[in-house]
Amino acid sequence: MANFNLRKAEPKDVPDILRLIKELAKYEEMEDQVILTEKDLLEDGFGDHPFYHCVVADVAAEHQKVEGYSVIGFAMYYFTYDPWIGKLLYLEDFYVMREYRGFGIGSEILKTLSDTAMKNRCSSMHFIVAESNKASIDFYKRRGAFDLSLQEGWRLFRIDKENLQKMSAEE
Amino acid sequence: MDFTIRAATLEDCKDISRMILELAEYEKVSDQIKITQRDLEQDGFSKNPFFHGIIAEVPEHLKSRDGHTKVGYSLYFYTYSSWKGRAVYMEDLYVMPEFRGKSIGKALMAKVSQLGLAAGCTQLNFTVLDWNKSSLDFYRKQGCWDVTSDLGYHCMRCEGDALEHLAQGDL
Repeated sequence: MANFNLRKAEPKDVPDILRLIKELAKYEEMEDQVILTEKDLLEDGFGDHPFYHCVVADVAAEHQKVEGYSVIGFAMYYFTYDPWIGKLLYLEDFYVMREYRGFGIGSEILKTLSDTAMKNRCSSMHFIVAESNKASIDFYKRRGAFDLSLQEGWRLFRIDKENLQKMSAEE
Repeated sequence: MDFTIRAATLEDCKDISRMILELAEYEKVSDQIKITQRDLEQDGFSKNPFFHGIIAEVPEHLKSRDGHTKVGYSLYFYTYSSWKGRAVYMEDLYVMPEFRGKSIGKALMAKVSQLGLAAGCTQLNFTVLDWNKSSLDFYRKQGCWDVTSDLGYHCMRCEGDALEHLAQGDL
């Protein structure tokens, strides 16, 4: 199956983006963690100062394997900054529906993103992967990615809203 | 101790650059710095900044041994979680050694939290090196949790030749 199209996401894609976000979260066994709504995605991605950018993969009607869906893959990314090396592209989500894997769609998405990174003078592309996700880790390592957590000892930390509020109230 | 926390300006880039180098030396990686003061000015203070900064400043009579009144900083930017929406990422947090133990670090982090919450963020993320025990303890006391340990998320990077090959579609 050769016919798929990669393009910049548009506001009309928001319902499909949310559907795919939930499918990916389900694959990571975290489906109940998704609280984002279509309204959030629309406001945050397509306003004056977008918090994220998105590319989607769609297939023509005659190639649809799954009834009703033409958008079958996506990647969500944004630009970050490392004060040592400058701009970076951060890959937040990257997913192709199971029925459409093995056709090079994922590779093509990654190629587009890397191209975007180079064009925007980013020194590198960052992302996180769950250590249990061996298939994805192998996919990325085959393409030259390395594990900063293992090799350099970086640990990702987080503060959630309740503690953020406590912290911001301290004098 | 008497100090103020305020938004960084273009004029602060000289001191931010100095302190970035000090932080890199503390993390034992100062040879990795490619960013100049000029890059910081362009990337942080143009129309579409890639990061924001806040500075901790002391009055003249409390200046450092080397004569500096800007004694701490934090660099942060906005990111996006496909599960929870808007988030803030704290890229750097640093207080000069002679000014530690006076809650300046806590105040800088409180400011980033306030700004993040005001922008509609529900989480603050950052990375810490696994050997940096004093920082790990400080963050845990603020209510942070280790996403790498708890969820098994590893930070990955694709850069240099690997990124270029990826952009060209090489495998």
